[in-house]
Amino acid sequence: MPWYFYLALKQLFPTGRRFPFFTVISVVSVALGVALLIVVLGVMGGFAHQIRQTIIQTEGEIQIKARGSIGNYHDVVRRIEAVPGVAGASPYASGMLMVVYQNKPSFPLMRGLDMASIGHVVSLEKFVTAGSLDALDDDAVILSEGLADSLGVPIGANIEVYTPLMLARRDSEVILPHTVKVVGVLRFGHQELDKSTIYCTLRLAQELYGLVGDVHGINVRIQPGMKEDEVAERINTVLPPDARAFSWMDSFADFLTVLKLEKNMMTFVLLFVVLVAAFLTMSLLLVLVLKKTREIGLLGALGASRRQIALCFCLQGVGVGVVGTAAGLGLGLTVLHIRNDIVRAITRVTGGQELLARFYQFSELPEHIEVRDLVVIVTAALLLSTLAGIIPAVIAARLKPVEALRSE
Amino acid sequence: MSDAIISARGLTKTFLSGDRRIEVLRGVDLEVGAGETVAIRGESGSGKSTLLNLLAGLDTPDAGTLTWAGSADTGAKRRATYLGIVFQSFYLIPELDALQNVLMAARILKGPGATELARAKELLARVGLAERARHLPAQLSGGERQRVAVARALMNAPRLILADEPTGNLDEQTGGAIIELLLGLSAETQTTLVLVTHNAAHAANCSRQLMLHAGRFG
Ligand SMILES: Nc1ncnc2c1ncn2[C@@H]1O[C@H](COP(=O)(O)OP(=O)(O)OP(=O)(O)O)[C@@H](O)[C@H]1O
Ligand SMILES: [Mg+2]
Repeated sequence: MPWYFYLALKQLFPTGRRFPFFTVISVVSVALGVALLIVVLGVMGGFAHQIRQTIIQTEGEIQIKARGSIGNYHDVVRRIEAVPGVAGASPYASGMLMVVYQNKPSFPLMRGLDMASIGHVVSLEKFVTAGSLDALDDDAVILSEGLADSLGVPIGANIEVYTPLMLARRDSEVILPHTVKVVGVLRFGHQELDKSTIYCTLRLAQELYGLVGDVHGINVRIQPGMKEDEVAERINTVLPPDARAFSWMDSFADFLTVLKLEKNMMTFVLLFVVLVAAFLTMSLLLVLVLKKTREIGLLGALGASRRQIALCFCLQGVGVGVVGTAAGLGLGLTVLHIRNDIVRAITRVTGGQELLARFYQFSELPEHIEVRDLVVIVTAALLLSTLAGIIPAVIAARLKPVEALRSE
Repeated sequence: MSDAIISARGLTKTFLSGDRRIEVLRGVDLEVGAGETVAIRGESGSGKSTLLNLLAGLDTPDAGTLTWAGSADTGAKRRATYLGIVFQSFYLIPELDALQNVLMAARILKGPGATELARAKELLARVGLAERARHLPAQLSGGERQRVAVARALMNAPRLILADEPTGNLDEQTGGAIIELLLGLSAETQTTLVLVTHNAAHAANCSRQLMLHAGRFG
């Protein structure tokens, strides 16, 4: 081990009883900056990831939509399923309904699911919190948790369903509702979806919306590892002219752009925290250089070259950077790991867990850290710490041994 | 060329302090042969330290020539092996224990191996600090620190030791012990010694005494 490496290590982590204040302060400040970056980027990345997960888990990665409705859909589904990269496709019908239970009305979004193929795209049974998916037949519905709660419907109760079609049919004076039985409750953990959705069979939805053999769209699940955009492109080549395939990213393009912009801004702003930590390291190293002026002179007298003396101090900046970044990585990832406990602890004191959930759409704080983000953070922290070591190093190297030895 | 361990001809050094010129050295000639012990005395401010720094190659003279064993190479690399320096202040590195401070001299040349470690331990034992090898400078007395510094100066088996008032920060008795040690070690190891001192008794123990006055030996 070259002497400057050895001495740098010894000055950072002295043996014996000397507590390395300088090292601890610099390392902690770098670690805090890095941890902060990881936590913030992790949670922001989590929102994007959560949205993706929610969409994919409920609708698949790609949605086929048409200007009106899609006819002859069995054939279209078969052609989509033949496209390379497609794992499964399931047609659906959707629209607004009015439901009434014990004179209480509500206006949920209806999703009519093709029970034969929905399993190829979405594993709905994972999200059933009460009742059962198997019981869903053409006279039954499953309610989202929020809807079931607001109506106060128990499993097994009947509710009345009105469709816009009934209003359009003005010939009969009395509008007769459709009576269906509630056989289950679904909870996706996404506030928007869980608030007010009613799930029924495709056949019932077609009947309620007078679709006679048409569907509103098709959900597509792709094979793992395939690119949404590329598969969507390929699907477009087999679709009828008025239908188009959208990847989930297309559907949320604006949202994702804003999120990405916010994330970049946050990275930029929080990098200043790391920069400040680097300045702190630099000022502490400068103090060290001044304090050690006479020893630097001695090293010169012992035959050390200027370059080696510079390296000795620069390496201390690097050392602070390496240890601080590693500690920050550990701290940041740990905080991300226990983030929900932290949020719970905070909201227990300040209140407002429900508000938080409502505001952020998710009942749990999501987290998703990309390797690319980590690489950026780690590189930036190491780079800044190294730069922080360079200025003190240059000052140390410029000291002349005689003058350094003479200094008081 | 001479086979002198160190040879200086017409060394001059002038300092500018503000608009005052201080002519410290005005043509110093010095030749020290192998095995000699030379004491340099002089009033405070007469330029003894300035001269020693020039001899050590730590500073450059305004005029004059300096050779070590006939060679004008007085660069950092050669200094590390050719000479050992002992200062008035001990300049030990506070983060390193006594043994590592001694080893530092070898470390700067190359990564120290078993030979160097053994030599450092041996030198510490020779200066009477075998039991204190693992102690940090802060745990040692002034005299003990200076002994570590002496061991460090000898680490790379130099031909020449330059000592600038090595007893200046020590009491009479401790200082005497250090001078004895330096003289004893240089005799044992055939090392040449140039010793700057105020103390007439210490100087009297050397084989030659020089007096620096008005920038010259006179
Ligand atoms: N870098 C410098 N700049 C200006 N003046 C200097 C410098 N170095 C030394 N001097 C001056 O040169 C003179 C000689 O200094 P030096 O330290 O060599 O004296 P000395 O003989 O070692 O004295 P002492 O016995 O007190 O150690 C002093 O007057 C000092 O002020
Ligand atoms: Mg002096």
